[in-house]
Amino acid sequence: MNTSTSCSTANMERMHHLLASATHEASEAMKRWTNGQVSLTLDAVKETPLECVSEEADLGDELLTMIVLTLDGESGGTLILAFDEENGRDLAAALLNRERSSDPEWSAIEKSALNETGNILGCAYLNALTRFIGVELVPSPPYFIQDFGASVLEQALMEQAMCSETALICQTRFQRNGRELSWDVFFVPSPGMRERLDQAVAREA
Amino acid sequence: MSPSAVAQEKKHAPVNMGQHVFGQAPDRFTSVLGSCIGVALYHPRTHTGAFVHVVLPESLGRSGPEGKFADTAIPCLIRLFQQQGIPIREMVAKIAGGASMFNSKGPIQIGEANEAAVREKLAEAKIPILGEHLQGAKGRRVEFDCSTGILRVEIAGQKPVEL
Repeated sequence: MNTSTSCSTANMERMHHLLASATHEASEAMKRWTNGQVSLTLDAVKETPLECVSEEADLGDELLTMIVLTLDGESGGTLILAFDEENGRDLAAALLNRERSSDPEWSAIEKSALNETGNILGCAYLNALTRFIGVELVPSPPYFIQDFGASVLEQALMEQAMCSETALICQTRFQRNGRELSWDVFFVPSPGMRERLDQAVAREA
Repeated sequence: MSPSAVAQEKKHAPVNMGQHVFGQAPDRFTSVLGSCIGVALYHPRTHTGAFVHVVLPESLGRSGPEGKFADTAIPCLIRLFQQQGIPIREMVAKIAGGASMFNSKGPIQIGEANEAAVREKLAEAKIPILGEHLQGAKGRRVEFDCSTGILRVEIAGQKPVEL
């Protein structure tokens, strides 16, 4: 477990445990969606200075294909499912049971396959969080985006940036048939969501 | 000034959220921007430049690195030039960023407010904006070259432009 923090270590470990449970539910949903091929585990929960987030998340300045789900309201946040081009195309091809497309433009059906993946993963994750924090979380429809990973994460961090010099991000590791995939999920809670998560962690203590 | 607020490595330094950096030819600074604004200040005669990655428009008494807020970031950069004896009246600015990401949905959209605050602070200091690449819905990768004063802007799927 890789947990860097400005909270107490014990609380951060409890937070990791809570979010690992949500990730497990997302993993089960992902396995069902991909016929058992793809699973995920929580890699790290990090409380990181804003200026270090891109490096901690290992986003560099590469172009990525991403599915973004946002949560509005007091308990808000952003969930980003990110792939490099090759991995995104591979997933779309596997889901659609066809050869990987070489067309530089993503077709509507490829985008739809990835959007649905983000939707399934995000809803399972957020359903678990709904139970933990006792507030119903309804995400936006998934949004397909091709952009620099760091710029998308920056936007997701805006609400945290307004009231803090650090950001909490949750990073996930994917496997497909036992082989590690170059996919990432980032969950960035809003300050309100962070407070709810802290309360849930405190109740667990 | 917080040490973490300054991109430490020069020559080809990434400038992350809230960071600023000051340098001279042949230094180059890079940044990836969403709704944040990258501000490059340049003094052509000495090939001296500074770059800041502004996150929010106003500090409003909040703590944080000077580069995080437009109202503290621009004075901070100006001060760095002044400490080198470089006159403000010879400085020029180029700015990029301020996008409304996620199709203007979701988390707070701060790009336009960032742009307005940066413009206001540069106008107060009477520093002309010689080039700008702002707004839209996509992120930008930028590189500022202290040798030339050129700010190179790249948007996914588009040909890079030089300001």
